[in-house]
Amino acid sequence: MIRSSTLLALALTGAMAAPVATTAQELRVGFPSDALTLDPANHRNRETETIIRNMFDGIMTRDSEMNLVPELAESWAAIDPTTYEFKLHEGVKFHDGSVMTAADVKFSLDRMIEEGAMDGQTSPRQSLLGPLKEVVAVDDHTVRLILESPWPILPAMLPFQEIVSKAHVEAVGTAGMAENVNGTGPFKLVEWRKGDSVIMERFDDYYGGARDIAPTDKACVERVIFKIIPENASRVAALLAGDVHIVSGLPTHMVRQVEENPDTTVMAVNGTRTSFLALNNEKGPFADIRVRHALAHAVDRQLIIDKILDGNASLTNGILSPDAFGKNKNLPAYEYDVEKAKALLAEAGYPDGLTVTMDVEGELKEIAEAISAVASKGGFQINVVVGEWSMLKTRYRTPGSPIDGEMWLTSWGNGSLDPVGIFDPTHRTDDRGNSSGYTNPELDALLDEANVETDRAKRAELYSQAEAIVNADLPKLYLWVAQDLYGVSTKVSGWSPSADSRINLHDACLN
Amino acid sequence: MTMAQTELKAPRPETLFQRNMKLFASSKLSMFFLCVTIGFVVMAVAAPLIAPHDPNEADLFRRLMPPAWMEGGDWAYVLGCDGLGRDILSRIIYGSRISIFIGASVIIVATTIGVLAGLAAGFLRGWVDVVISRLVDILLGFPYLIFAIALIAMTGPGLQNIVLALAYKEWVIPCRVVRGETLATTGVEYVEAAQAMGASKSNIMLREILPNILSPVLVVSTVRMANVIILEASLSFLGLGVQPPTASWGAMVADGRSFMLQEWWLSTFPGLAILLLVLSINVVSQGLRDAFDPKFHD
Amino acid sequence: MSLGKFIERLLQLIPVLLGVSVIVFVMMLFTPGDPVDIMLGDQHVTEEMEQALRRDMGLDLPPHERFFKFLGNAMTGDFGLSYYHRQPVAEVIASRLPATIELSLAALIFALLVSIPLGVLAAVRKNSFLDRLATVTSLFGVSLPGFWFGILLILFFAVNMRWLPVSGRAGFESEVAPITHLLLIDSLLRGRIDAFWDALKHLILPTITLGLPMASILMRVTRASMLDVLNRDYITFAEAKGLSRTRILVKHALKNALIPTVTVAAIETGSLLGGNMVVETVFGWPGLGRLVVESIFVRNYPLIQAAVLFYAVTYVMLNFFADILYTMLNPRVKL
Repeated sequence: MIRSSTLLALALTGAMAAPVATTAQELRVGFPSDALTLDPANHRNRETETIIRNMFDGIMTRDSEMNLVPELAESWAAIDPTTYEFKLHEGVKFHDGSVMTAADVKFSLDRMIEEGAMDGQTSPRQSLLGPLKEVVAVDDHTVRLILESPWPILPAMLPFQEIVSKAHVEAVGTAGMAENVNGTGPFKLVEWRKGDSVIMERFDDYYGGARDIAPTDKACVERVIFKIIPENASRVAALLAGDVHIVSGLPTHMVRQVEENPDTTVMAVNGTRTSFLALNNEKGPFADIRVRHALAHAVDRQLIIDKILDGNASLTNGILSPDAFGKNKNLPAYEYDVEKAKALLAEAGYPDGLTVTMDVEGELKEIAEAISAVASKGGFQINVVVGEWSMLKTRYRTPGSPIDGEMWLTSWGNGSLDPVGIFDPTHRTDDRGNSSGYTNPELDALLDEANVETDRAKRAELYSQAEAIVNADLPKLYLWVAQDLYGVSTKVSGWSPSADSRINLHDACLN
Repeated sequence: MTMAQTELKAPRPETLFQRNMKLFASSKLSMFFLCVTIGFVVMAVAAPLIAPHDPNEADLFRRLMPPAWMEGGDWAYVLGCDGLGRDILSRIIYGSRISIFIGASVIIVATTIGVLAGLAAGFLRGWVDVVISRLVDILLGFPYLIFAIALIAMTGPGLQNIVLALAYKEWVIPCRVVRGETLATTGVEYVEAAQAMGASKSNIMLREILPNILSPVLVVSTVRMANVIILEASLSFLGLGVQPPTASWGAMVADGRSFMLQEWWLSTFPGLAILLLVLSINVVSQGLRDAFDPKFHD
Repeated sequence: MSLGKFIERLLQLIPVLLGVSVIVFVMMLFTPGDPVDIMLGDQHVTEEMEQALRRDMGLDLPPHERFFKFLGNAMTGDFGLSYYHRQPVAEVIASRLPATIELSLAALIFALLVSIPLGVLAAVRKNSFLDRLATVTSLFGVSLPGFWFGILLILFFAVNMRWLPVSGRAGFESEVAPITHLLLIDSLLRGRIDAFWDALKHLILPTITLGLPMASILMRVTRASMLDVLNRDYITFAEAKGLSRTRILVKHALKNALIPTVTVAAIETGSLLGGNMVVETVFGWPGLGRLVVESIFVRNYPLIQAAVLFYAVTYVMLNFFADILYTMLNPRVKL
């Protein structure tokens, strides 16, 4: 005991006496999960993208207000509905000093769309490029993207694809790409300590990034570290202790702690993920529209937003986020009305109330229990059952087979904020995210029409109509779009979170 | 000589077990913690009578209400309320049922299986021993939590599945102990005597050997029971605990952990409950061990 | 120990490994949840693409073929590609292993340093106040849920006192070129004292959290075996000869009393290697346990299979090692 306590004391004094001198300006981000690979074409993972997007740039990007702007491209234009042309910046360099040309852009996109292009493997990102058929390098600084069929969201999907160096890929191969980075982004890779951190340093020859996003210079900080801290409590503790400067995925109930700390603040941005209760429209009590309406009147959504989410969410009466393209702003709301809920339930044949089971993943347990508590006054006895996402997905979202369950508290993300990424999959007959078993040929036709409509105003109008239909039919109980919350040290300036959950550190400075 | 004849030789002298129990009872520390343990059991049994509130009665307007002695507290909710406004004291009282149920049922299931398997392996030897010992080796080769996580992932969370997932591997521990002890006793006179008298194998195992090896089994089971209660908390931490709204201490600590910096009462009180119960069981077990192990007799 | 015994031990590994493989495989087969489905998440994909991905991951084969393919490949050391990392499983595991080994060893050393003096002291002063205090405090170690205790430590030492870092293995500046991949040793070998302190600072809290339950167990074992030894004839004899109490304790009693402690420690180290996932998650420690748990949730089958086999081999080897230690410390035991 004596020996060990002396050892501990020794360690502590030693620790304090010899602080590790930080010579470079180092911005550290506390992040919940590690990158799976550093190859931009070989994953389907949001977190991986957030990390590596600091080392790779794309043809297009988004500013923190979600406006689509050209990044490696100087300008772009749609020549016809199936041909897009991009003019590239001149003098853009890769981290190894070589110059990026249209050939690299063509190579990067081909690598994603061609079967077996990655040493026999096909990129898991292939479908993110939809009907992209061919990429033509017109000259060194011009590329044309040719589509098989009109796909108006092509430019909006390009921020998700990053450009790699052709020569580099040919040198290291697909296996080597997993750990070797040679991009055009503001930071270059120093080291990837798997499961622990991804360390990057400033790329001094950076071309400056998107011209529409100031400043257009090399990055502000010299070094950036994504530190992987999976546990929420520990991640926030790391921010409060000054170990990291930015944490993502701040839980709502920890907002106050971060705000009350003099050295930290909270930054919020409207997320793109719509939360809803998927109701089984095929069979069981929710097949009756009156029961669905009753539930809508029984759940006091605003109360849950205020109490459980601490106000960090905006109510939605349809599937689209208030910031999405084509959002119907005039949707009627189902007001909280216990009597109305009970009356509707009685009308549907449940005068004594209704007992149902709500499936939910562990993370959302508290919200599910809150909904259950609130709805009990309106005649709904909801039993919450926690399950794993993978199993719930199989039960509710296996296209072609019946929905197995009554209701599922879940959500759907839509990074592009274009309705095609959320409306189609969650509402179209038998689509992959249609967790309600909802079928409405009228709606399917509307969505199909909107999909190929190139006139923006007309397209928006089509989605508006579609949202009015689902608001009335209520295949799901639409809840809210939660804000993404970040805890940020007061030392950080110039950085703001963006709605697509990317953490772009190009503009961040450390005082 | 039959069993009946043995019974006639009354009064039977004090058995080793009885003597040991007396020795155990003479330790004040052990007795104190035994009382605490019994107190918890009484609390679990009488939960509906003791608990001031329905443990599942939620009210969002009471969300995160602090304990009574703090500003904003209310003596009706002495230890405060959790994130859904449920009374923490009542949930702790009801939660004792879950923790004790899981601990006890896992140990009862595991000990029963383990003792039978261990006896069979140690006494019958031969292929029975080979099969059981290999199975034990294989199961011991799995890290405990990984096994439990995989099983729960397979069967889904829930009280019953947690008990199964933990008992699945738990039995190998008493099995190993019993096998070793049985091997040590097979050569002992009374066993040989019974064999000579033509007693059946199952008779020898259950009537002659079992009573003589109960002490180490009891010691091991109590220690493991404490361990199982902690494991339930770890499973909750990994998101594989009991289903809501059931109150379990492990789930309460796990759910309250991210509130720890400000709303510390959410996880601290159930955490202390775990600490006290597990500590009590461990001290009792240590006392039993000291009493039962002849090496420690002065 | 004879060569024959050694070979026999190695042969015993085979049924264990085979059994472990079968159990893991069967469990995964009956676990609901499809890895391809999970991987695709909410994203756009066509039916053909999904099939291609399935083929790519080798999931299009019937189960028994998959199992024999796995067995055949595993014998040549090929465990397949991790679905998520798209890298060989062996590489992914190897990259996480040093962190787990370092933390486990640190916890073991911490546990030994705490438990042996405490155990000896408790035995020598049996039934004294000190004995009771040591017993009860040591039991605290096994009576706390590890994650809760870990977060408490973080809040106190990292957030309030700011003495120690919250998470991770080392800061960037304390980078040293790897030799053993154990940061504490490498930094010393490279003569980087600053890096050593940095690594040590990161290691302290997870070590205490992980090592405390083990310390409790070892303390009890030490106390028991010390009591046992102190009652033996040769100690009484030594006392009669008038040797000093300290000398008897250190020279005669301790050596013999440590045999069970060492044996239990070796076996417990096996469970440390496997019981890390909670501590690794709380402290963001880049080890294997966390990786395996994450893999179970996303049904990353090749990684789970390989990791479980690794654990099984480690377990058997550690037991083997414990046996050797046992014979070394106690020459009367012949294996």
